Amino acid sequence: MNERDLLDRVTRVPGVRGVLLVAAADGLVVAEQLMDGVDGRAAAALAGSLVGRLTRTAEQAGHQRPTFVHLRAEAGSVLAAPGPDDLVLVAVIAPDANVGLARLEMIDAAGRLG
Amino acid sequence: MRALEPWVVEPLQAFLSESSARLTLLMTSSGQVVAQHGFSRSLDVMTAAALGAGIVASTEELARLMGSPRFGALVHHGVGQSCMLGAFPTPRGRWIGLVVFGPETSVGIVQLFFDQMVEQLALAAPREQAPPPMLAENFESELDASLKALFGR
Amino acid sequence: MSEDIRALTARLADEPSSLAFLELAEALRRRGQLDAACKVARGGVSRYPGLADAHDLLARILSDLGDLAGAFDAWSAALQFDPMRAAALKGVGFLYFRAGDVVAALDHLQRAAQADPDDPSIPLAIERVRAEVRQHGAPRANGTPAPAPARPPATPFEGIEGGDQGFLLVDGNGLRLSGSLHVSSGEDAGDRVAAQLAGVSREAARATRILGLGPWHSIAVESADGHLFLAAPTADTVLLTARDHSLPLARVGLLAERASRAARAWLEGMG
Repeated sequence: MNERDLLDRVTRVPGVRGVLLVAAADGLVVAEQLMDGVDGRAAAALAGSLVGRLTRTAEQAGHQRPTFVHLRAEAGSVLAAPGPDDLVLVAVIAPDANVGLARLEMIDAAGRLG
Repeated sequence: MRALEPWVVEPLQAFLSESSARLTLLMTSSGQVVAQHGFSRSLDVMTAAALGAGIVASTEELARLMGSPRFGALVHHGVGQSCMLGAFPTPRGRWIGLVVFGPETSVGIVQLFFDQMVEQLALAAPREQAPPPMLAENFESELDASLKALFGR
Repeated sequence: MSEDIRALTARLADEPSSLAFLELAEALRRRGQLDAACKVARGGVSRYPGLADAHDLLARILSDLGDLAGAFDAWSAALQFDPMRAAALKGVGFLYFRAGDVVAALDHLQRAAQADPDDPSIPLAIERVRAEVRQHGAPRANGTPAPAPARPPATPFEGIEGGDQGFLLVDGNGLRLSGSLHVSSGEDAGDRVAAQLAGVSREAARATRILGLGPWHSIAVESADGHLFLAAPTADTVLLTARDHSLPLARVGLLAERASRAARAWLEGMG
């Protein structure tokens, strides 16, 4: 399954407005599928930076590196599923999206990367 | 942070606080410094400006030879810190930004907020006549005055 | 002057060190001759400073005179020499009730009930205090200052599953306000995690703002061995809830919301 197929599976979840594959340390887009109005470059840079910080926080708290992150905001959420080789799968979703299904698809997709 | 022109201050300050850049230099395409942050010696500023302008000029020539459009930005990844050079249009002509950053931020963050700064500079620039071209006999005194302003002396 | 008071007065005059002062002062009190009764009682207390009866009698006379502060001191002295003196416990309980300290009032009345279970007036007094509180709240005596407001608890997480452990309340500068976070080695990692959280909060706020998602509400972080849940009880604080993997993430979220409400109330109580 290639990267495009993996992104497709996530974008098919209702409420998902965009999915990106991000090189987390650089905050740069590797691949993306976005609806209009979603700034992929910003999502990659900001999500990459946030996941990095949360990884450090989890390590300081004695936990292993995160397998899933859900940043919930008033008008939607950012989901992130870290994969191998510093890659992170990032999704921007609407407030009424099926978070549970998106989470399952993203964790599965992140596990198939690399 | 020091700037020769006051309208540069706010966009540059916003960039610095969001990007966590360690050093930043804004200059004209000919290497004349407009603003700086993080440098402690005027010699370093002059040298960096000259080198940066030269690198951008070289790569733009390279792009022309290749038949490509101008490169948006150049990034040199280092071990402890990295450097980004980006040329951009302003109402005052073509400027260059040189940004040095460390692992506490990322190239994606730096580029994101660099582009925002470019937009803000375009909006903030006063709509007035461009200054007269600089004469060689004025250059040294202008440079000296600029360096004094950039280092607050 | 009644016959008994005349006789008691004579006896006391003959033997100033006798305990006749107790009967005399009590007789004078019952006749309403409170000033005389007080004089006799004070004389007796000075001769018998360690006699709880004397202090108790003085307290009752002072209470009748309206000198409640003096009565409180006298009853307290009586209890010092006789801690289970029911009458003194009743008296102090009554004074606390008048001052609006219901907790202390009930405490003393309940101790009085233990000291003298056959006294029917004590259960009645207890029920009266409780009924008053149910109907009107704690009474405020005229001219007496209201009791000091209850101090906020030392931690906002009292009574919440896990207590103080696994919760970390942090201010905007990355400094710990409350809670603790112990790692597997037993070390409290709270301070170094707190230092990270201020930056996380700023990053989250920036990300959701720039992406047009509005203010952030929470961050859930799932790991193979545990979950972290971040929320913002107030604009400039962050609350971290950490639990091991045995608790589903959604349930950690519910726990975190409850702790967040408690933290907000606690912060408001701190002023």
